[in-house]
Amino acid sequence: MRLRGIKRFHYARDVEEALSLLSAYQGRAALLAGGVDLARAARGDLEGLIDITGMGLSYVREEGGGLRIGATTTLTGILENKAAQGYLGGFFCEVLRQVAAPPLRNMATLGGAVVSAHPWADIPTALVALGAEVRWSDEKGEHRASVEELWQGQFRKIFRNAVLTEIRLPAWEGAFAFEKLSRSACDIALLNCACGLGIEDGKIAWARVAVGATPRRGRRLTWLEDFLVGNQPGEGLWREVRDRVEAQVEVSSDRRASGAWRKAVVGPLVARTLKRAAEKMGDA
Amino acid sequence: MEVVAERKRTSVVGKNVRKVDGVVLVCGRPKFTLDVDLPGTLVGKILHSPHAHAEIVSIDTSKAEALPGVACILHHGNVERIPYTTAGQGWPEPSPYDSFLFDRKVRFVGDRVAAVAAESEEVAEEALRLIRVEYKVLPAVFSPEEALADGAPVIHDEEDATGIHDAQHNIAAAVDIPVGDIERGFSESDVVVEATCEIPYSQHTPIEPHCTVAYFDEEGRLVIRTSTQVPFHVRRIVARALGLPMERIRVIKPRIGGGFGTKQEIVLEDVAAALALRTGRPVVMVYTREEEFVCARTRHPMRVRVKLGAKKDGTLHAIEMEATSNTGAYGAHALTVLSNVGSKTLPLYNKAPHLHFHGKAVYTNLPVAGAYRGYGATQGYFALEVAMDELAERLGMDPIELRLKNHIRAGETSPIFEKIGEGREGKPMVVRSCALEECLKVGAERIGWYEKRSRRRREGRWAYGVGMACAMQGSGITGIDMGAATILMNEDGSFRLLVGATDLGTGSDTILAQIAAEVLGVPVERIVVYSSDTDLTPFDVGAYASSTTYVSGTAVLKAAEEVRRQILEVAAGMLEEPPEDLELSGEQVVSKKTGKSVSLSEVGHQATYVVDQHQIAATASFVPPESPPPFTAFFCEVAVDTETGVVRVQRFVAAADCGVPIHPKLAEGQLEGAIVQGIGHALTEELLFSDKGRCLNANLFDYKIPSSLDVPHIEVVLVKSEEPTGPFGAKSIAEVGINGPLPAISNAIYHAVGVRLKRAPFTPERVLAALHRDG
Amino acid sequence: MKIYFELNGEQQYVDIEPGESLLSLLRRLGMKSVKQGCNTGDCGACTVLVDGRAVRSCITFAAKVRGRRVTTLEGLGSPGDLHPLQEAFLEAGAVQCGFCTPGMILTAYELLSKNDNPTPEEVRAAISGNLCRCTGYRKIVDAILLAAKWKREGRWR
Repeated sequence: MRLRGIKRFHYARDVEEALSLLSAYQGRAALLAGGVDLARAARGDLEGLIDITGMGLSYVREEGGGLRIGATTTLTGILENKAAQGYLGGFFCEVLRQVAAPPLRNMATLGGAVVSAHPWADIPTALVALGAEVRWSDEKGEHRASVEELWQGQFRKIFRNAVLTEIRLPAWEGAFAFEKLSRSACDIALLNCACGLGIEDGKIAWARVAVGATPRRGRRLTWLEDFLVGNQPGEGLWREVRDRVEAQVEVSSDRRASGAWRKAVVGPLVARTLKRAAEKMGDA
Repeated sequence: MEVVAERKRTSVVGKNVRKVDGVVLVCGRPKFTLDVDLPGTLVGKILHSPHAHAEIVSIDTSKAEALPGVACILHHGNVERIPYTTAGQGWPEPSPYDSFLFDRKVRFVGDRVAAVAAESEEVAEEALRLIRVEYKVLPAVFSPEEALADGAPVIHDEEDATGIHDAQHNIAAAVDIPVGDIERGFSESDVVVEATCEIPYSQHTPIEPHCTVAYFDEEGRLVIRTSTQVPFHVRRIVARALGLPMERIRVIKPRIGGGFGTKQEIVLEDVAAALALRTGRPVVMVYTREEEFVCARTRHPMRVRVKLGAKKDGTLHAIEMEATSNTGAYGAHALTVLSNVGSKTLPLYNKAPHLHFHGKAVYTNLPVAGAYRGYGATQGYFALEVAMDELAERLGMDPIELRLKNHIRAGETSPIFEKIGEGREGKPMVVRSCALEECLKVGAERIGWYEKRSRRRREGRWAYGVGMACAMQGSGITGIDMGAATILMNEDGSFRLLVGATDLGTGSDTILAQIAAEVLGVPVERIVVYSSDTDLTPFDVGAYASSTTYVSGTAVLKAAEEVRRQILEVAAGMLEEPPEDLELSGEQVVSKKTGKSVSLSEVGHQATYVVDQHQIAATASFVPPESPPPFTAFFCEVAVDTETGVVRVQRFVAAADCGVPIHPKLAEGQLEGAIVQGIGHALTEELLFSDKGRCLNANLFDYKIPSSLDVPHIEVVLVKSEEPTGPFGAKSIAEVGINGPLPAISNAIYHAVGVRLKRAPFTPERVLAALHRDG
Repeated sequence: MKIYFELNGEQQYVDIEPGESLLSLLRRLGMKSVKQGCNTGDCGACTVLVDGRAVRSCITFAAKVRGRRVTTLEGLGSPGDLHPLQEAFLEAGAVQCGFCTPGMILTAYELLSKNDNPTPEEVRAAISGNLCRCTGYRKIVDAILLAAKWKREGRWR
């Protein structure tokens, strides 16, 4: 494999250098971290590649029960990190273990997952449910936004001239669970769901529910979150969730699965993810 | 179980010796096709049709030819037009001559339009982009039904194609084999059931795609180093396609990265050779993964309808089988795969006096189907064994009982053996070894059949079930396909074994060495195996039809026996005793009478240097008069998520009778690998096409073959029988394993949730739809 | 452009193209154990170790290994001097065609470097991105478990 047309390969030492290189190429250069998506997409319009893995952005830090993860940290780097393993009872690591296979996780970075934000991917669904926040720098300075805001906007345009630097996962008093449906064990999702619950005095105090690969990218079901609060977890509630989700969540067809099937399974999927989150609360 | 107490003790056969090519493979030595770098090599690339069906009005290559680094561009306008088949089969091939190096017409998205040879891959790709082709797009058909409809476009309207059954109606091949009186058979039956099962486009996906290097040796002869299962057929077909005398071509098969049938086809060698001839330079070609999916070969998608009539006691009385096969744009293996749907399945249940097997292989504007492990039997068994399950239910019989009542036994025959051969009539044959009864017993025990079958287990949303199926295959093609072997003794008592047989990862080099070593009384290490080189090794049809162990193995056995005879003769002179009194073992010739001995090394030196010097050597050939079937009983346990339709195969047990396994671990490996491919067929594998015939998932990201996490616990049991006609009692094992998973899993799903899955793969979507419809 | 890197214990100073893949570079350097199966990172046949981590060389840019340590199967053992993992693959009958074998062995090598007592499930998970179409994986898993046992017994390097 050769990426056609590449004339220069740069090793950026810091964010400023990466930004100035980006601007010098006027759109004909790309930032390169793990490279998993870049090499596969085989864009023909690139002349420069800017490696950003040597800028000190590979780290995982615990902060007040949450995590700060450098954008070029590989998925393996997160999986092997003690703080990440402890975060929400291992929830985020549980998600990452279902993403691709080890040699790809050795390459793929969390920042790459945010920038590519494939609709069928598992990480965006989890980040949305967690309420992750991302930070990036461009020539104007540093910026921050929640992943939800980011992905609702023109994020691909933003990252043409910006360096994603950090992803922050907030602390939560509760438990999260993740479930996906796929064609085989090592596959992208045909539908996925991440849920979090806080339970106080036997009642749901807060809830976070995100569904992805519908086939659209993961997004929250805020109406369901509102409905859940104040209710008592249990089979009755899960049945109710199942029916409401089936009636209200918009799904459609792509070549991997039909809308009809997604419609039929989205209710059970959300219900079982919530149930597992509630069970984790019980275990804690 | 047939206890073979009298079987001769063997010292090499039946042992898990180290694979003869094992060390080089675990070290990653440069033994594969593309692992050689020849100076001055050009890269060949093919321009593919963007249309499913079109005439080429004009091709303008001027811009591409002007590109620096482009050496040559070939298309229909500048090559000779010679019809041939890409199917690597014995001559004359039973497949139609409906292919050309380049044609004026394209018949599927991905068909060949032109080929470029250039200094680098980048230049070649750029040149492809610069070729201007004007097409006249024709109406296209994407299913046998459309292709057979009145007024359908004629896909092969060229006048110079031959061997097509009915080109005007897009019928590449047809079969119609009646035995007895099928209508009477059904009317005399107490119970009649029918099942129609369908298999989509699926692909072999060897991890090494098709690749080939064509170059010239010091004398200017064309050498084709290629990833093929059929080196001798490559030589013959390339000679024909390019109008070359055969002696000008040498084909070498190095190590190859899997085949499973797709490399029984000439898909790159002809183009690479043509480019090399035109440029006088070495040319390397390799399919991208996308090309491998679309432009190599696929399994024949097929719909098979089976109707069974049985007496109340379960005895089958009538079997009708109708197959509608989609051969795609060309008729490679169209007739023979179709024939095998019946010929490899119907003899299994030989009790029914009334049979009717009929079907058509139909051209469509989709990728070209070809040989794929199982070769029609896989398609046939899916329908047959699902129908048997249904019949068992209707009769209130256990599925195993129903099989036991009906399956063929040693000493029995089936009229099908004689009626259906390889594109012509077959040969009558009596089955001489069959341990299926024991396989059924062992498999049932291992899976816990009777207790699991008696109750359906349900835990929450998960429903559990067990299912089973049986299958047989053959061992080579009777009366047609030949294998030959040459064995030469070196003066130090070691040997060279030269075989045309083609090891495509199966381990046949090892197995053939074991057979020779056993006869010659030496360890395998003393035998140097050289295989699959049309200049240096004797003829062999190659690796297909489950033939190597049985056919090539018998040739090796015969050659080794002759070499042993020659050795004993020389030793007799040295020991001054008659050869009858001598025995060969442990690298020694020992007198049974006097105990005197000479070593093989001494014999070798004697024959080479001392007295009456001559080369101790022999060549032997074998054409099988019979094709003894291996038998397998398959059992599996599945869990079905009733909310989502997700199916998990939790356990798989296969008990197989392949006669005496020459190398048990390799035999197990064949079975395990075939089962996993079958599980892929059952659960995920399907090529998808747009309404214009473009493949939508020609990559390993969206075409899911099983990974290590998708494979359940698989137990394989080799139940020994002794095949009296086989080398050391051996039969084949390579293909039979792929015939079971589809029906066994479908039957297990039925047991779990009461719905029959008759369209593969059993995706969550299809399972859930079936549950909502019938559950 | 030129880069320094370590290949199987030896320093290399080589010319590369800025858009070239590591797979292409390594095969150019004669490391033919590195196989191309898909060129999209999906099959695992091109897996090599970079600083001890298994990566897909087909979608890794060669320029990225500047200053790093690259190991291919050639660096693990040779016919006269097999690495225990290679020995275990032979012993367990884990090799059929051998095309996926180099990537499979190197992926297993990384697993065993982190965990010399993996469960069968951990082994299956570790090699889940390395596709094998011949064996059905069972004997590959057996081989890796056998090698792990040898490693625990001190038979390793």
